[in-house]
Amino acid sequence: MTLIFQNIRKQYGSNVAIDDVSTEFVPGLIHGIIGPNGAGKSTLINMTAGSYTVSSGAIVLDGRQMQSLKKYEIANSGIARTYQNIRLFDQMTALENLEVCYYPTEVGATWREVLWPPFSRSQRERRREACMEILRFFNLQGYATAEAGSLPYGRQRMLEIARALVMNPRVLLLDEPAAGLNHHETAELTAKLAELRSPARIMIIVEHDMDLVMTLCDRIVVMHHGKLLFQGTPAEVQANPDVQLAYLGTANDIDEIRAAAQDRRAKLGIRARQRS
Amino acid sequence: MSAADTPAAAAPRTRRIIPFLVFALAIALLVATPFLPNYHIRVINGLLIYILLGIGLNIVIGYAGLLDLGFVAFYAVGAYTYALLASPQFDLHLPFLLILLIAAFLGMLTGILLGIPVLKLRGDYLAIVTLGFGEIIRIMMNNVDWLTGGPQGIARLDKASVFGIEFARPVEIYFLLLVIVFTVAVLVWRMEQSILGKAWAAIREDQDAARGIGINTTNAKLAAFATSASIGSIAGVIFAASQRFVSPESFTLQESVLIVLMIVIGGIGNILGIVAGAAILILLPEVLREFAEWRILFLGLLMIVLIIIRPAGIVPRSFGPDKLIRGLFGK
Ligand SMILES: Nc1ncnc2c1ncn2[C@@H]1O[C@H](COP(=O)(O)OP(=O)(O)OP(=O)(O)O)[C@@H](O)[C@H]1O
Ligand SMILES: [Mg+2]
Repeated sequence: MTLIFQNIRKQYGSNVAIDDVSTEFVPGLIHGIIGPNGAGKSTLINMTAGSYTVSSGAIVLDGRQMQSLKKYEIANSGIARTYQNIRLFDQMTALENLEVCYYPTEVGATWREVLWPPFSRSQRERRREACMEILRFFNLQGYATAEAGSLPYGRQRMLEIARALVMNPRVLLLDEPAAGLNHHETAELTAKLAELRSPARIMIIVEHDMDLVMTLCDRIVVMHHGKLLFQGTPAEVQANPDVQLAYLGTANDIDEIRAAAQDRRAKLGIRARQRS
Repeated sequence: MSAADTPAAAAPRTRRIIPFLVFALAIALLVATPFLPNYHIRVINGLLIYILLGIGLNIVIGYAGLLDLGFVAFYAVGAYTYALLASPQFDLHLPFLLILLIAAFLGMLTGILLGIPVLKLRGDYLAIVTLGFGEIIRIMMNNVDWLTGGPQGIARLDKASVFGIEFARPVEIYFLLLVIVFTVAVLVWRMEQSILGKAWAAIREDQDAARGIGINTTNAKLAAFATSASIGSIAGVIFAASQRFVSPESFTLQESVLIVLMIVIGGIGNILGIVAGAAILILLPEVLREFAEWRILFLGLLMIVLIIIRPAGIVPRSFGPDKLIRGLFGK
């Protein structure tokens, strides 16, 4: 199982956001996508998840072309995501946010659920137990009956990842999972994400937190102005002069990249907190 | 267990007493109704029909978050189905229950037919298109004389009868309505609690994120439209059977607006709220009958006050039937 980008392009009007990107993601590894503001990272995630259409090229999962499928079909073929700006179902409880993910597999039994109380009871019990388990994994069990929108910002980030995991996706796309988190929360997130690495799962993380990226990722894709600038291991990325140039405008060392990225991340965090 | 559970557990006695009192009052009214004069029973019957309509429309507005202003069209479909299949118009006299099934099915079909083209629209656009649809149906009823009798409508409809028991006098219609409203309310509530109901909530909150977790939003919304329409149609059948006369006048835009108001004032997305909203909007004008010329002013004022002091409705979404049951039996 692999996820392949074949010469994908994305244009918004005349603005070319993604220009002829080809690469490959494999299971068992955590892939990072980094790059400066507006490089096209989110656009890649959005196209893979079906939120945006692909202007040309192909996205192939397991030999199957994905780019012409509808968004819900893409989700049902095992691609789950989180959003750069958190998008939970705010007025539903944390638990319901996860339970509703069973819709694709269980909607067919709706009539039985409505008309046959013993069935609905066991169905709901099973669903609840499975979801509580995921909540416990993220230490969110205490928020199960709280409205998702009322959770602290950091918990909302975690809940969104939890929601993406309910259907045990083959591909997990995380768009800036650490944005707006404090040091403690970022450390917690890093540990959880490391645990999610699995031979059956392709993980792709877009992130500005270089510590997180360098600790967690096995492979990194560097985007710049919509083009794939470089890809390689964290060590290779850190040593590459082009990458330094892209981030800072001048060739400098990784510590300064780190500082620049950190600065940008802090700004994002402030915006994120203001929104919540 | 969690922080959210604690306040409810420690709720003061009064919290439990208010829903109990209201509930007791409602039960008392239901028990007393058969002993009231016919005129009053007819008013209560009207109230029950509006509750049924409210429960139906609430699926689309309250659960799925889609503003439908043409709901009265489905009500008309049901009423005319009964009128055409149980009257001298074509000399057809099918049994009541069979017509109820046919009407539920036709309502569902109409709901889907309306839903397919309009469900890509959201908010205001959807509201306007559905409003237009409601008017189209009414104008059709007005003009297709050979079928619907035009503005004169169709008269001398059969009495409803189920397994040989006749439902014609107001008190008989009352019992029929009680059974149907209660059954529909329970089924719809269970539907809201089902996985489909949760998907409706997700669509209401964030349609795009709902697609992102694999929900075929078109199908889920069609299901909401279809269920809602079929309940509207069932209400129409009972309405026609109780009036034993139908005409386009009963299916104006005002009716749709009234049902929407009931939902908004009573408590959007909550069956208990709809009962409250219907009670206020249907019973209050009756109580104020003597001050006829002040009625509209009075209702307008009440609405403004309610919207200011209870923006989420008289019974907010969070106080659903499950909470009432728990409150009553102290579980
Ligand atoms: N919906 C849209 N409509 C038009 N232009 C867009 C849209 N989304 C993104 N763009 C443009 O596409 C380019 C890439 O944006 P994208 O959001 O993918 O960048 P990013 O790498 O995720 O940046 P950031 O780090 O700020 O999240 C930018 O020039 C942006 O202005
Ligand atoms: Mg982005």
